[in-house]
Amino acid sequence: MNAHLLLVEDDRSIREVTTLALERAGFGVTACGDGTEALRLFAQRPYDAVLLDVMLPGSDGFEVCREIRRTHATPIVMLTARADTHDVVIGLELGADDYVTKPFEPAELVARLRAVLRRGTAPAQPRLLRFGDLEIDEAGFRARRGGHDLSLTATEFRLLCELARRPGQVFTRDILLDLVWGYEFLGDSRLVDVAVQRLRGKLERDPSQPALIATVRGVGYRFEQP
Amino acid sequence: MRVGAVAPARLRRRLAIAFVLTAGVSTAALAIGSYLIVRSSRLDDSAARAVSQSTFNLRFAAGQTPPGGLLDAYRTRGDFCAIVVPAGARPLRDLSCPTPKQVPSDLRRLVAAGQLARQRVEIAGRHELVVGGRLANGTTLYFFYDEQQVWDDLGALRNVLAVGWLALTLLAGLIGTLLARRTLAPVSAASQAARSLAEGLLDTRLPVAGDDEFGAWAASFNEMAEALEAKIAALSDAQQRERAFTANVAHELRTPLTALVGEAELLAEHAAAMPEEPGRLARLLVADVGRLRRLTDDLLEISRIDSGQERTATELVNAGQVVAGVLRGNGWSDRVELYADQVVLSTDRRRLERIVANLVGNAIAHGGASIVVRVTRDGDAALVEVADDGPGLAPEFLPHVFDRFSKADRSRSEGGSGLGLAIARENARLLGGDLTAANRPGGGALFGLLLPVSEPLHAGEEAVAQAAQDVDAHPSTKEE
Repeated sequence: MNAHLLLVEDDRSIREVTTLALERAGFGVTACGDGTEALRLFAQRPYDAVLLDVMLPGSDGFEVCREIRRTHATPIVMLTARADTHDVVIGLELGADDYVTKPFEPAELVARLRAVLRRGTAPAQPRLLRFGDLEIDEAGFRARRGGHDLSLTATEFRLLCELARRPGQVFTRDILLDLVWGYEFLGDSRLVDVAVQRLRGKLERDPSQPALIATVRGVGYRFEQP
Repeated sequence: MRVGAVAPARLRRRLAIAFVLTAGVSTAALAIGSYLIVRSSRLDDSAARAVSQSTFNLRFAAGQTPPGGLLDAYRTRGDFCAIVVPAGARPLRDLSCPTPKQVPSDLRRLVAAGQLARQRVEIAGRHELVVGGRLANGTTLYFFYDEQQVWDDLGALRNVLAVGWLALTLLAGLIGTLLARRTLAPVSAASQAARSLAEGLLDTRLPVAGDDEFGAWAASFNEMAEALEAKIAALSDAQQRERAFTANVAHELRTPLTALVGEAELLAEHAAAMPEEPGRLARLLVADVGRLRRLTDDLLEISRIDSGQERTATELVNAGQVVAGVLRGNGWSDRVELYADQVVLSTDRRRLERIVANLVGNAIAHGGASIVVRVTRDGDAALVEVADDGPGLAPEFLPHVFDRFSKADRSRSEGGSGLGLAIARENARLLGGDLTAANRPGGGALFGLLLPVSEPLHAGEEAVAQAAQDVDAHPSTKEE
């Protein structure tokens, strides 16, 4: 597949060893050490995914993430210092698809990257789902509502597909992590919650009173057929 | 502290009672004393007048030979009535006067012996003083003086004194209570201040009012509170600095450690291809980097908990499913037996996962071959027990099993940071529960995690049970 990645990390040793590991895993890697440079590189050519450290000179990781999301749905994985701080939630809310916590094993990073990239490929039997004015085109990787493209990221799109394929069924966070993020190991259920929030923001007429994606308290989520 | 809280009220009551007793007893003594003095003086006065009148009457009677006229003469006096008993003849008297039978026999005997005698009697509900005397010719005379007015006056005086005494005693009670409250106000203020100090309000001070003993006491109390506050501030500053330092060290270690972890992983792939000695060193290096990494992770976690800024994100979870997820995620499902009841509780899922992972990981590292996890409901608590059949915990180690950097067997604890169980317990306490350790009667260690089930919602349990069924029905799920 030879996906090409943009790695943004200010520590030279981490940058070098991560580049090495990613290249060994078969990725093409462009690496840089500050946020402003990252945005310049991103504008020059398309990347399949972006790996983004939070603490960066120039523009910090959050700013870079926000800038990229303004125009692109490219998968973004954040490299965060701590799993338990706001950093993670802020990154996810800004549209990052996933995160890894330092120190991380390169193998874990590669697994997450592959999972993120897999989300961007069409399912084996793509379908066209219609619910009223909502149209989900699995082959074309697009969702439209009332004729307008919703510009979903790959993660948001896969989440919508999984929920909408079985309307009325309750999905626990674990199952969604498994189906959408492709994790067989322990994932972070906040990934699901924040992604559902972002999806509602783009999908629902009134995101504060979701009509399509309902919360089943204490359990998970359910797609309501309109 | 509780005793201190009660004492001022008791003391106040005692002070008030003492005040009332003093006032009551002294006013009662005064009242009774004055009553007795007035009483005896009035009665003596009345008796003296009766006796002198009687003496005069007797002298007058001695000069009158026919006794019949006597009564008329006496009647003109008017303030007494008389009975005349001539020797050997029928007694003479006014109809309004008492009969001779109403003269007490004691008095009659004294008069018969020739004395002038008197006695107080009550006739038809009225107090009378009877004076009797005998003339030389054998005629006996009795005079009845009405003393009712004296006794009425004495009764009125008694009533006034009793009412006055009662009023004074009540007033003393009121004043005593107020006085006791005012006197003891500094005590109750001090007791309150001490309590709020104990509760951690270190800036509590007492008002220093006046230069009496209480004022001096308040001043010393404030000095003590100030010293305490300064001492605790210094201690907590030092602790804060120490914790911040630990957090900073761990944080700073993370960047080079991230690079090291990556390098070690890549190096491990080459180790097999290296000549023997560099290959062995490479493997050692990789293992040590792993150890350093776990230690740093644990240090970071415990310093985060110490900082007190850890928040919990509660949701309804099925404890059995969480444990199953942890076992599966760590590849322990084949080694560990799980018996789980349906227990749904509102808790922080990630922390619960962390605790279970630490307990099971610990059992696998130190326990035996057979590890059993049980999830049960115990009243208002959810209980997760991890039992192994290993050597168990040494008795001298048992109280320190959750201490930081305590290791049962230092030589055998490679890989462990010595913080795992401490972290597990801190997390359990963050969730409002606790963690216990014990040895099983049949050998092996038993760790128990007790968590509150604060939301026993039937609707929630049904929903989770429903979700569990959905999981079973789902084609791509890996739940057992």
